[in-house]
Amino acid sequence: MFQNTKCECGHQNPPDTLLCESCGKPLVESDEPLEMRYDGVARRSQKRNPNPLDRVWNFFSSVRIAVIIIIITLVGASLGTIYPQGNNAEYYKEAYGWSGELYHKIGLSSMYDSWWFVGLLVMIGTSLVICSLDRVLPLYRALNKQQIRKHLQFITRQKTSYVGAIEGDAEQWVQSFGNHLKRRRYKVHINGTALLAEKNRFSRWGPYINHIGLIILLLALLARTIPHWTEENTIAVRDGETVQVAGTDYYVKNDKFTVEYYNETELPDRLKQQQRPKLYETHAVMYECVSSCDEPGIEPELKEVKQYEITVNHPMNYKGVKLYQIGYDDEPLLQSVKPVIEDVKTGQKYGPFDLPMKNPKTSFEVGPYSLELKANYMEFALNDEGSPVTKSRDPKAPAFIFIVKGPGLDENGEPYMYFPLEKDKERFSQDKINQAIASKIQIRVDGMDNVKFSSYTSYLLIRVDRALPFVWVGLGICMLGLLMGAYWHHRRIWLRIDDGTLSLGAHTNKNHFGMRSETTWALEQMGITVESDKLDNGGYNS
Amino acid sequence: MGKNRKPIQIVILLGVLLLGGYAIGKTLFASDDGRPAVGKAAPDFTLLDLNGQTHQLADYKGKAVVVNFWGSFCPPCVTEMPEFQRMYDKYKDKSFEVLAINLSEDDLTVNNFVGERSLTYPILRDANRVIERKYGLSQYPTTFFVKPDGTIMDIFVGGMSEQDIDSRVDQLLQS
Repeated sequence: MFQNTKCECGHQNPPDTLLCESCGKPLVESDEPLEMRYDGVARRSQKRNPNPLDRVWNFFSSVRIAVIIIIITLVGASLGTIYPQGNNAEYYKEAYGWSGELYHKIGLSSMYDSWWFVGLLVMIGTSLVICSLDRVLPLYRALNKQQIRKHLQFITRQKTSYVGAIEGDAEQWVQSFGNHLKRRRYKVHINGTALLAEKNRFSRWGPYINHIGLIILLLALLARTIPHWTEENTIAVRDGETVQVAGTDYYVKNDKFTVEYYNETELPDRLKQQQRPKLYETHAVMYECVSSCDEPGIEPELKEVKQYEITVNHPMNYKGVKLYQIGYDDEPLLQSVKPVIEDVKTGQKYGPFDLPMKNPKTSFEVGPYSLELKANYMEFALNDEGSPVTKSRDPKAPAFIFIVKGPGLDENGEPYMYFPLEKDKERFSQDKINQAIASKIQIRVDGMDNVKFSSYTSYLLIRVDRALPFVWVGLGICMLGLLMGAYWHHRRIWLRIDDGTLSLGAHTNKNHFGMRSETTWALEQMGITVESDKLDNGGYNS
Repeated sequence: MGKNRKPIQIVILLGVLLLGGYAIGKTLFASDDGRPAVGKAAPDFTLLDLNGQTHQLADYKGKAVVVNFWGSFCPPCVTEMPEFQRMYDKYKDKSFEVLAINLSEDDLTVNNFVGERSLTYPILRDANRVIERKYGLSQYPTTFFVKPDGTIMDIFVGGMSEQDIDSRVDQLLQS
């Protein structure tokens, strides 16, 4: 069907234009107030004979389609909340019976990662871009070059309009009306006896800025699937220990771990006599590796970058790497001892010498004695054949075998088995194993000052989310757009005086009541008293 | 307008196709949790052996490699180590290597252990469980059979008999 799109003012409009882009004359006959959406301009992509590319474009350009996609997505998203997500088949069968089984079978148990749900999000994103682009560009153009003198029909068919006679010089009247509007922060443009006053145009860009924010948000969520952009690991750090933060170049030291328990008066009766932790805290130091980070056999060079007391819900945060306190273990582990060697006969003590549980030196000179460390066991045990073995790599029941040389001992040295922990010494009968040498020398710890324990293991959850800043930026822009569009109203007043007759029309994108009262106020300043309601042209949104 | 419309449409639709394709593709193909799995590339590592020599897995491309994680505290590890030694001797002339990574034990323990058993294949020293974590180990011993192209042919958790090792190494050498 051929449609004549040339306006009587001589302007050639694109197809589907509702109001002439130049003079504003309505191109569709009706008595209703004008459809002012997008100022009556055609969507950017509308054209005759669309090719396949245009058809795809037009599909996504439709707000109706966008709303349908959003509704489908919302319904889909709500299905995912019926039962918990991400469990295995047995769980759904056991917990919810046949409906749970069905739920899992049709793929709703992991639906937020399903191809169709992600597909819907992709379609929403596409529609956001295309819908916005197709509307914001024509709207920008239309608002940027507005004609001051509009077609009479355009003015009188505005939702707020007034027609009446005025007295005196028309141009002067327009000037003074304009001055009144300026007091209400309108930008006033005058062309002889025609006037255009406008304020808060920027609020029209709100929705598009909002959409930009949403697109950034969607892209940020997509970015989270890039390897290494999000990571979640748990590490165990004993107090005093430094451990690499898995997946990063950072190291964290558990400088000290403290637990505070509830005292009796704070606990209800049924929990009395129990140790209930009230607050546990890791005094953590974060280091960054500066060199030799990945070289085997060389200790990495670390530089302290941050100290923080990590408690539950108060994670340490350094450059997007977050460390959360998720638990602790209070099994003590021996870290090091400083034993002495005692000559049993004379009672003379030599030492002490430093014996760490991990990677100790292998030879020691203590007084007249020299010790050669032959073997060590972290968790000493005897296997089925009666040979000494270690049951784990943590010093839970450490044992050391020394070859000792010195006064009164064989010159080739005599073996001496040493259990630093008193309970192990008795359990494995150290003196019996050592036999004769036990009556000559004793290796033992003199006082608790010479024993160093690590009392706690702190469990930390490491979370790296490099997309998070972008999520916040997206949300921020989204919110800014929402505020711009919601809080401010775009208001325009057109008027023209033809042979002593004033025709005034006003338009706003929301709050027509406010628009009318502002118009009433302005007219009143000019000595025209009219009831606010009388300006209403009827139609929608009253 | 008009003039730039078509290029803009093409650019935007292509962008959507790329990003959307990536997003949807992610959901269709097995999610990559970074852990080694059969068919995937074995994570690279650079470690020292007992002689202080550097071994990097990537340098063994073109060779069939058995990567075995072991600790002196794990009885099945201890049992299977002589089997690996036999395998090592048997296929020494072939394009084959055994890399046995110790589970972050201390020097004395490892040296004593290897010395007593006169093992001649490279024993590598992990520190602070870094490589062990990289390989996502949860049980010991665990053995990875790495094809000459660097991908994992099989992962075996638990102690292996001579036959278990033999059949896999045969398969590995054929690939």
